[in-house]
Amino acid sequence: MATPVPMTLSGPAALGSAWERWSERHLRVLMIAPAMAILLALTIFPSIYMFVAAVTRISPNPDIPWEFAGADNFLRLFTDEQFHVGLLNTLIFTVCAVTVEFLLGLGLALLLDRHIRRLNFLKTLLMLPMMLPPIAVAITWKLIYEPQFGILNEIMFQLGLPLQAWAGDANLAMFSIVVADVWQWTPFVFLLMLAGLSSLPAEPYEAAALDGASAWRQFWDLTLPFLKPVIAIALLLRIMDAMRLFDLVFVLTGGGPADRTKTLSLYIYQVAYRFADPSYAAAISLFVLFVTVAFSSWFIKRMRLAN
Amino acid sequence: MTRSRTSRIVQRGVAYATIALALVLTLFPVYWIAANSFKLDIDIFAVPPEWFPFNPTLKHYDAAFVQRPFLQYALNSFIIAVASTLVSLVFGTLAGYALARFQYPGQWRYQISFWILSTRMMPPIVTIIPLYIAFNYLDMLNTKPAVAIAYTAFNLPFATWMMKSYFQDLPVELEEAAIVDGDTRWGAFLRVALPLARPGLAATAIFCLIVSWNEFLLALVLTLTTQSQTLPIGIAGRVTQYTTYWGEISAAGFMACIPIMIFAFIVQKHLVRGLSFGAVKG
Repeated sequence: MATPVPMTLSGPAALGSAWERWSERHLRVLMIAPAMAILLALTIFPSIYMFVAAVTRISPNPDIPWEFAGADNFLRLFTDEQFHVGLLNTLIFTVCAVTVEFLLGLGLALLLDRHIRRLNFLKTLLMLPMMLPPIAVAITWKLIYEPQFGILNEIMFQLGLPLQAWAGDANLAMFSIVVADVWQWTPFVFLLMLAGLSSLPAEPYEAAALDGASAWRQFWDLTLPFLKPVIAIALLLRIMDAMRLFDLVFVLTGGGPADRTKTLSLYIYQVAYRFADPSYAAAISLFVLFVTVAFSSWFIKRMRLAN
Repeated sequence: MTRSRTSRIVQRGVAYATIALALVLTLFPVYWIAANSFKLDIDIFAVPPEWFPFNPTLKHYDAAFVQRPFLQYALNSFIIAVASTLVSLVFGTLAGYALARFQYPGQWRYQISFWILSTRMMPPIVTIIPLYIAFNYLDMLNTKPAVAIAYTAFNLPFATWMMKSYFQDLPVELEEAAIVDGDTRWGAFLRVALPLARPGLAATAIFCLIVSWNEFLLALVLTLTTQSQTLPIGIAGRVTQYTTYWGEISAAGFMACIPIMIFAFIVQKHLVRGLSFGAVKG
């Protein structure tokens, strides 16, 4: 194997070609190595660190050495009711938000596909919410939900409906969060479905029409199977995103009222920084990481996204 | 005949009505925050609410960007976003090209691609504790580089996948022709593939900028003072337990949205690919 010749021994030209020959031969490794090194440092280190932290008892006092705690932090997961609440809230939010976003996005795409194709400007306007900073979205909805002077209660009043505290009401808080998330992320599903619909082949539909297949049958037997890969990607990305919900609840409800909107992300944040218990926070994080990785690998294999 | 024509007209009517309704529902919240940012406090708190800022004022913009350090927050956001985007774009393009073009023994190409994607799937809350401890140890807490490095953890895998997808779309014959003409493999990448991938590079950069500009949780944990706090942190900081500075956060929130809206129109052709990590080609 040719190693680069030291600068002093040969002229710059000769050296250049030696290095060039070497680098040319190992180009496929050299091009990918920096990215992999950076990502290893930014993901493998945290994972190992978290595992170490989770099996120790970290003292806030730097003079006291860490103690080995074994599985204690993991066992706490079974008895910690706050953790169960967070897990349940995260599941409720993910199921509700993603279901509504998916049905609404798919329905709108089917209804509007042929009519909006050339209206690129309008399409981009409809896509705006998902691009906006989540914090800006959160304060916007906070303003809309405001019980005293918010616009939503004004609309309720005009319609003769009872006024609500929305994000401040224990029974409506989760609903309010879901609505804000649906507002921001339905466009994402809509956009991906439009992309899927625009690449449908025409022939099977012509054949189906000749056979007299109903619109419903065509949708069920042709459109849905063709859309399956796009649907899978849209669902995967939405579910992964919904499971890490933080910004909206942080600003809109702070996890309240009565922990009704406390998500796992928010709970980990509180455990680590408000209760200053990084070991336990690491244990919960590992649980979240395990669930996320298990789910996404299962989903990717199941939906055959692997190619 | 007439029946099918009427049904087509009805269909079109329903579609346009739906588009109109969707536009109103989509744009009203954006309008609402903009409108409130131009209202006097007394009009923000008015019951019933004023649908339009009849007494427009720039008071809240002055309060946010002149009296309070929101300009500094925006500048921090900008510096962090650009730094992280540049690093991610350079190394992501190299890695993306390698994954798109080179053969690797066995399943390595697939395994590496999958692993890189999986790092993007990692929830930020999971990495935040170790990053906090590491930056604390390195005495880098509350600095812009720390935040930029943390953002690279999600921008780099994204850039890799995006560029991989753009390079896969380019015909390999052009690079082969360059090599036949005596260029090196690296030269073919640099002088043939890279210039052709320029639109993809631009779109990828804009997506990295948007995601960095919008990020909240990592910045919340890693920053403490105006020296490094980003715009979303500044905004959230004005929602306190006791009061919410509505005018100020509306002004700052609306300003935070403006560059994003401009970017959205620049990348509209690339939206689908960008949002699906290159998996769906729009």
